Amino acid sequence: MISVTPKNLSEHNVKLDLNNLSPEQVALEIRNLDLYYGNKQALQNISMSIPKGQVTAFIGPSGCGKSTLLRCINRMNDLVDTCKIEGQINLHGENIYDRHTDVAALRRKVGMVFQRPNPFPKSIYENVVYGLRITGENNRRVLDEAVENALRSAALWNEVKDRLHESALGLSGGQQQRLVIARAIAIKPEVLLLDEPTSALDPISTLTIEELINDLKKQFTVVIVTHNMQQAARVSDQTAFMYMGDLIEYSDTNTLFTTPLKKKTEDYITGRYG
Amino acid sequence: MDNLNIGRHISGQFNEDLERIINHVMHMGGLVEKQLADALTSVCDADEELAKKVLENDYQINNAEVSIDDECTRIIAKRQPAAGDLRLVMAIVKTITDLERIGDEAGKIANVTLESLSGKHKDLLSNLDNLGRHVLTFLQSTLDAFTRMDYDAAVKVHKSDDKIDREYEALMRQLMTYMMEDPRSIPQVMSVIWSARALERIGDRCQNICEYIIYFVKGRDVRHTTAEDFQSLSK
Amino acid sequence: MNNWFKSGSPWVWLSAGGVSISLISVIGLLWLIASRGLSYFWPADIYQFEMTDEQGINTTVIGEIYDRENIPTSQLVHLNLDLDTSVESIERLLIKTGNRELVSLDFRWILVPQISQQSLPEDLVLIERRTNGNFYGYIENIILDGRTVGLEKMPELVERVSEFQAEMEELQKVDIGAINYQIERTRLKERKHKLDETLTPELQLEFKNTVASLRADYEVLEHALMGLREKISRDQIVMRAMDGQKVTINFENILKINFNNQLTLFGKIKLFFSQIGSFISDDPREANTEGGVFPAIFGTVLMVLLMTVIVSPLGVVAAIYLHEYAGNNALTKLLRIAVINLAGVPSIVYGVFGLGFFVYMVGGSLDQLFYAETLPSPTFGTPGVMWSAITLAILTLPVVIVSTEEGLSRIPSAMRHGSLALGATKAETLWRIILPIASPAIMTGIILAIARAAGEVAPLMLVGVVKMAPNLPLDGNFPFLHLDRKFMHLGFHIYDVGFQSPNVEAARPLVYATALLLVSIIVALNMTAVSIRNRLREKYRMLEH
Repeated sequence: MISVTPKNLSEHNVKLDLNNLSPEQVALEIRNLDLYYGNKQALQNISMSIPKGQVTAFIGPSGCGKSTLLRCINRMNDLVDTCKIEGQINLHGENIYDRHTDVAALRRKVGMVFQRPNPFPKSIYENVVYGLRITGENNRRVLDEAVENALRSAALWNEVKDRLHESALGLSGGQQQRLVIARAIAIKPEVLLLDEPTSALDPISTLTIEELINDLKKQFTVVIVTHNMQQAARVSDQTAFMYMGDLIEYSDTNTLFTTPLKKKTEDYITGRYG
Repeated sequence: MDNLNIGRHISGQFNEDLERIINHVMHMGGLVEKQLADALTSVCDADEELAKKVLENDYQINNAEVSIDDECTRIIAKRQPAAGDLRLVMAIVKTITDLERIGDEAGKIANVTLESLSGKHKDLLSNLDNLGRHVLTFLQSTLDAFTRMDYDAAVKVHKSDDKIDREYEALMRQLMTYMMEDPRSIPQVMSVIWSARALERIGDRCQNICEYIIYFVKGRDVRHTTAEDFQSLSK
Repeated sequence: MNNWFKSGSPWVWLSAGGVSISLISVIGLLWLIASRGLSYFWPADIYQFEMTDEQGINTTVIGEIYDRENIPTSQLVHLNLDLDTSVESIERLLIKTGNRELVSLDFRWILVPQISQQSLPEDLVLIERRTNGNFYGYIENIILDGRTVGLEKMPELVERVSEFQAEMEELQKVDIGAINYQIERTRLKERKHKLDETLTPELQLEFKNTVASLRADYEVLEHALMGLREKISRDQIVMRAMDGQKVTINFENILKINFNNQLTLFGKIKLFFSQIGSFISDDPREANTEGGVFPAIFGTVLMVLLMTVIVSPLGVVAAIYLHEYAGNNALTKLLRIAVINLAGVPSIVYGVFGLGFFVYMVGGSLDQLFYAETLPSPTFGTPGVMWSAITLAILTLPVVIVSTEEGLSRIPSAMRHGSLALGATKAETLWRIILPIASPAIMTGIILAIARAAGEVAPLMLVGVVKMAPNLPLDGNFPFLHLDRKFMHLGFHIYDVGFQSPNVEAARPLVYATALLLVSIIVALNMTAVSIRNRLREKYRMLEH
């Protein structure tokens, strides 16, 4: 007879103490991060540790700084002229905002997928190998293998294996987004940043992507920004709630969605005006 | 209603849904309370008419349970409530189960009335009546705590179940003595025991409801916790 | 009525009207040019008119009817012509009579009332000649190798002559031309050594020997040419002109002999197309008023292609800098406005600039540095096809910059971010993603540049176009592409033929024909570019966002 005890039921989500992670459990450490757009402060003193091999979600109302924070992790904010950043983000104990950081190398380690699927107007194959070609890899066999692995990891291989050399723009929205994910994981990053990856997709494609995210965390640390709270609840292990540039509450998803500690969090996730 | 914060949802529809459901629960609580009171009165006064009426009215409670259950399911499906809302809906779903059971127990008590009790067991009934009054108060304060989602009240009520348990045990001992003294009275005493048992169960169920209130307010599941844990929580 | 206004249909009508007017003007323009231009190639009937003038003297006029018009009788009264003054106007015909060696003007007006008889004799012949224009008349007899032969030998003769002519052309242009070129180069080499003071007696001897052997080759070729010429000069045709005079024409001088009046419709169509063919492929003759326009076509296309090769990378790079690298500040905005305004500068200004800066300053310096041996005759220090191409490239640069920038700004930033997020640098992103996606817009810019450049004449007159270029800028002599040479241009050809030629009347149809050709070439260049652009567009089609 199988005895179902509470321990068995909750075994698959081991609760981490987010404030006291051991160094090998940490993928990214954000420390006292302030961010300004011109004179306006967009992020205020953010500190958090993102655990390795798990899905961490950032939620919060529009303009709360969650996407901004996500973009800080692979320095996409560098593209904004007026953006000024203070504080640290440590990857392997090294501050990515150090002057000597090679930004391109950083972005190869920290991949990113955007809100709208943005495949390049090239073939599916060329889309996936883009990052590899950038690094100078031109060996056909290596590329072929990478394409198959990446597309399999992105659960797209079976759908496109017969038309790898057709334009990526012929794919559906959901397929395109998975292609973009395949493209990002083809260069084997350590961290994968997803910026509202399903906001432009239909519910079924959304579910496919969510399922994919669940698979991806076996290989990568995933950080996802989402508007959809239910999605954060479904896919993430940790959830951070941000509001007006502040990190209000950061805890494991189960706790945050059943018994949030802060009233602001409660109001936001239950749909109250705070 | 302070702790509920129902009125502050951005979705007015959701507010209405939740308010309606809570009103339904209160209405159901009122029905249960009346049933229990009537059942107790019928036992004490040997009022068979009243007892029959109690039995007949049980269907109202059953219907209320089904319709509230239905409504909760709909809210979960449509609104995907989270945090406090989710706990509220879960608490309600569980509370109405217990309320329905309390209704059933009231029915059982009414049944005792119909099994004719001879006059010499009147004193037995007075003891039962005493327990009944206590349980009724207990139920009332539980429903009261529920209405206000009052954590402190819930903890207090939860603790006062001990009193009922003790009273129940005392009554049981007394009834045992009766049976030993006069084995012929065993059938009648048995019915009284069933009634007492039902009252004791009602107490337990009220205690459950208090636990749901605590769960809703604090987000902590206090079921099956030891007294010490519970103590530490209530501080 | 109010409802009609509200319904919006006035706007539909108004806009449709605008479209119709544009359409009608474009079609009208094309129709006019095409009909006038193409009629030039249609073999005309050759009429023989018997005229009786007011003194009762009879004359014969032979020729094509070129034009006809009505003139008021009052204008003719002072001529004391014996005319019926009761009619208001009299029709007169312009006849192309040719035979330039006999009459001073090869056009002549005749008054219709003076025509006593008009016929289309089948044995009238139109001879197209290398010099002196057309000859109209009757064949008297044919002299082959000094002996008189019958008319039946005609086709054989024509064929023989054209063979000889091809041979002579080959000798003259290719072989002798190459030897001349080599002799000139040897001379320049020698002079260069002299200037550098490295001319040793051995070298001098070597050069002398080279020149001597080249001259020997030249003698041989020249001899062969003389032989051919002599052979061909023994074939003659004796013609009788309209006034009965007998004229001997050397076959050497004859391009084509046509019995226009004997032609069937099919024959006329055949002749029509062969005329178009020779118009496109032949060199011009008689101060550009006759013959073909091949050098002008070649020059136009070559210059436009060179211009495209120069302007595209320059414009694209400039646009990339403005859009991708330059900070978004006042200076950039100023630059952008300056670029846009450059497009409005009159083209002749560019011509002046090209002449002053490129030809005299840059070209002069180039000559002093690299072509000192040819001085004082300039190499690059004089107008040429390269300077024309560069000047037009500067002229069309704003167009390419503006449309490329437009294309760059239309690329969704998601594309850039996507590439950057994969670890590409900005340069890699530009090269691998941005430029391919912007290529249709770049092509649009190039199309506009080509359209503008192919039609520009004014600046070219200052920096490289000539009325008659002896050589094409591209030939078989190393280095094959001679960027320093002057060239002919269709636009300038139109201007030259239409307004600068000694015989404006004769040249008018040629103007239309050349204009039609110019339009067709520009359309062809544009269509090529458009089809390339459309293919690129299809390839890089963005999803509708």
